[in-house]
Amino acid sequence: MRINFWYISSFVISLFVIIPILTVFSSFFESTSNYYQVLKDTFLMEYIFNSLILLVSVLLLTFLIGTGSAYLVSFYNFPFSNFFKWALILSFAVPPYIYAYSLTAFFENYGTAYTILKNLFGEGNYNQNIPKFDGLLGVVLSISFSLYAYVYILARASFLYQSQNIIDLGKNLGFTKFKAFYSIILPAARPAIVAGLSLVAMETLAEFGAVDFFSINTLTTGIYNSWIAFDDLAFANQLSFFLLLFIFALFILENLSRKNAKYHFNARSGFKQKQKIQLSGKKAFLAFFFCFLVLFLSFLFPLSQMMYWTIKFPENLFDLNTLDLLTNTLYLVILSSLMLIVFGLVSNYGNRVNKDKTLNILSTLSISGYAIPGVILAVAFITFIAWFDDSVVKNLGFISIKKVFIGSILGLVLVYFIRFYSLAYNGIKSGYEKINISVDESSYLLGYSKRKTFMNIHIPFLRNSLLFIGILVSLEIIRELPITLILRPFNFETFATTAYISASEDLLEAAAVPSLFLILIATFFIIVTSKYILRDNNE
Amino acid sequence: MKKISILTLIVSLFVSTFVAANEVNIFNARHYKADGELYSKFTNLTGIKVNLINGKSGALEKRIISEGADSSADLYITADAGRCGAMDSKGTLQNGLTSTAIKAAVPKSFRTSKWVGIAKRARIIYYSPERVTGAELSGMTYEGLADPKWKGRLVIRKSSNIYNKSLVASLIKNNGKAATAAWAEGVVANMARTPTGNDRAQIMAVAAGEADIAVANTYYLALMLSGKKGPEQQAAAKKVKAFFPNQNDRGTHMNVSCAALVKGAPNKDNAIKLVEFLLTPESQEHFTNNTFEFPMIDGVSPSPLVVNNLGLDFKQDMKTKLASYGKNQAAAVEVMTAAGWK
Repeated sequence: MRINFWYISSFVISLFVIIPILTVFSSFFESTSNYYQVLKDTFLMEYIFNSLILLVSVLLLTFLIGTGSAYLVSFYNFPFSNFFKWALILSFAVPPYIYAYSLTAFFENYGTAYTILKNLFGEGNYNQNIPKFDGLLGVVLSISFSLYAYVYILARASFLYQSQNIIDLGKNLGFTKFKAFYSIILPAARPAIVAGLSLVAMETLAEFGAVDFFSINTLTTGIYNSWIAFDDLAFANQLSFFLLLFIFALFILENLSRKNAKYHFNARSGFKQKQKIQLSGKKAFLAFFFCFLVLFLSFLFPLSQMMYWTIKFPENLFDLNTLDLLTNTLYLVILSSLMLIVFGLVSNYGNRVNKDKTLNILSTLSISGYAIPGVILAVAFITFIAWFDDSVVKNLGFISIKKVFIGSILGLVLVYFIRFYSLAYNGIKSGYEKINISVDESSYLLGYSKRKTFMNIHIPFLRNSLLFIGILVSLEIIRELPITLILRPFNFETFATTAYISASEDLLEAAAVPSLFLILIATFFIIVTSKYILRDNNE
Repeated sequence: MKKISILTLIVSLFVSTFVAANEVNIFNARHYKADGELYSKFTNLTGIKVNLINGKSGALEKRIISEGADSSADLYITADAGRCGAMDSKGTLQNGLTSTAIKAAVPKSFRTSKWVGIAKRARIIYYSPERVTGAELSGMTYEGLADPKWKGRLVIRKSSNIYNKSLVASLIKNNGKAATAAWAEGVVANMARTPTGNDRAQIMAVAAGEADIAVANTYYLALMLSGKKGPEQQAAAKKVKAFFPNQNDRGTHMNVSCAALVKGAPNKDNAIKLVEFLLTPESQEHFTNNTFEFPMIDGVSPSPLVVNNLGLDFKQDMKTKLASYGKNQAAAVEVMTAAGWK
């Protein structure tokens, strides 16, 4: 092992990301409990129950919607099937909390549904006949329709690689279409689907906005509340233990499925391009209807509800300082994605040239930031800075560093960095795995330095991966809520925070305008880059 | 590219660290458009810049506590006396809101030396005149919400809601913890549905026939009646009437939006000036006309929408000290949870 620039850089980056993650867990060992155990047990059961129900229902729904629509657009031709292929990822532009606002706006007593019925059929008491999608059910729908795209994208990518051979195999065995799907196509795509589902699961456990809006207590909001409202770290400790159990189970599941994912890409030699089946008549309509329904419920419904409100209450449009919000949002997006990509690259390269075990373990640990809910990461960051400042910096006689990190753009970007580092690191890593190590060796033989190899050979090779990661990170940051909410500086708002603040003050109409802008910007990002997200041509 | 990003980082860091000197920093958990307008007025009048960080009370409090003596916060403004009281009991506030202007404006039970009320709201009962008779309501109290005659007829928010915590805290202060625990069980037994939605949703549930009575703050009905929420909600609001409980004893439960002076405030004088400004008749009138709250000071009347539809000459509870809301928060959560109040 040699200590060089690359080694040290990777080491420092990984260590930096790990520290706050460790704080999350170490700070749980303090005990400041002041509540009765009986009550805590009630809460504990409720939080675990809610989280479990939420997790199971969301996984089931996203699986059905995601795999169902991916199957249809991958294996069949029907009216607009090429349009749905990319339009179905638009749901990424609608974060769960905005979906929650739309659900409430539409279905509440005297809401949009009521107005529609009244305009169609005249006055009447329709409220009792309008179903109410709030509480746990509201949360499940909000998260599922926003996140099914993870499953859709990965399942579709996997279906795309499936060879015509295995479909023929089904035919030769005399399977019905359903049986072929159930016993051949689905198992072959299983690793990809599980990977998509585990992403969904992670986001579901970390979800803050929609859960908070419907005031459903999950493990995540439970930890947050017992930390913030009750100052009860001991209870937060207990809760986080259960959350960790959930997350570890998911981690293991995801890793296992990824290992299994490797084999089916090797079947290159026997690959035969699939023939899409042309659907017609009733079947074509049903396929079209299913995809349209998904697109409508996940994207068109919240979009039109937000538009309707913006038009109905136009004064909110003029009250909003749109340009400021746009600048702030883009500023955060650009700063954070640059930082993530640069450091993700350096760290990956450091790992590649050094092949050091310690470094490898450290890097693997450092990507666990994604598993920690943003709201908890933000509080842990504040706690850590406060502790570090009070017990280290001031004891050494320096002035306080709190203002440098808490309530500053720097602090905000740093926590984004920790939270989304795994996206950047893993994304670049999978790009790197496609560059054979012999490329590096040839480069050294030609007399290129490490730096030159990195700059002139690796980066051009990785360009597409980097772009893709840039988009993913940007989308995450445009939608990000809890970290921004807790750590932003004075007089600094984004579309997400403005929408949340209005909604929490029972001013849902005012939340519509920033929500609409957020959806439109994210949609723009998605449309411009949909070919990178879908990766039709083998990268 | 890396150099640029590092440079940008450094610049942004400085921007947020060294800001103009004549200012006041508010950690703000009250997000009405009307407040922003008042702050601009204050800046025009005094030249003092108002910096805001908006958020929910819990997260803002956590940040103030963690930043400790180095906090840039001068004032913490929130819409519940219980939260101000809780911050006080954690030792994060300081004395100073004791100027003659403040003392003259705000009644004694609505302030301490560390925080003062800036606008009042009452938490009252809304009922459907079609389904609730005058006899049923006669002499109605908060205590009466637990009466079995309301079984399946009552809607109220979740126990995690700050307004409910303060209401229950005031009941504990007046009736004791054991009586309030029994009361909470009665209330839970009377609920028409599992608590869901905000205050306005409770009022609309009564309008829509899901329940006969609801507990919610005063300004919500006025907001709906104003038409700011659209014609449907305006029509719905007309199906509901307001009732002020406890008129024959201590009076209706009052809560406030409060401004608290943070310990170590870097701009203490400016903070006091701002609080005094918020208590002037002009500012109070601005509150009453836009947020539909009750004025904190004498001599300003509430919005006509509030006066005409809710009535004005009701007896407010001026006896229960608002500081007790903060002190009894934990006990309030305890009795509600024990009663199975979701």
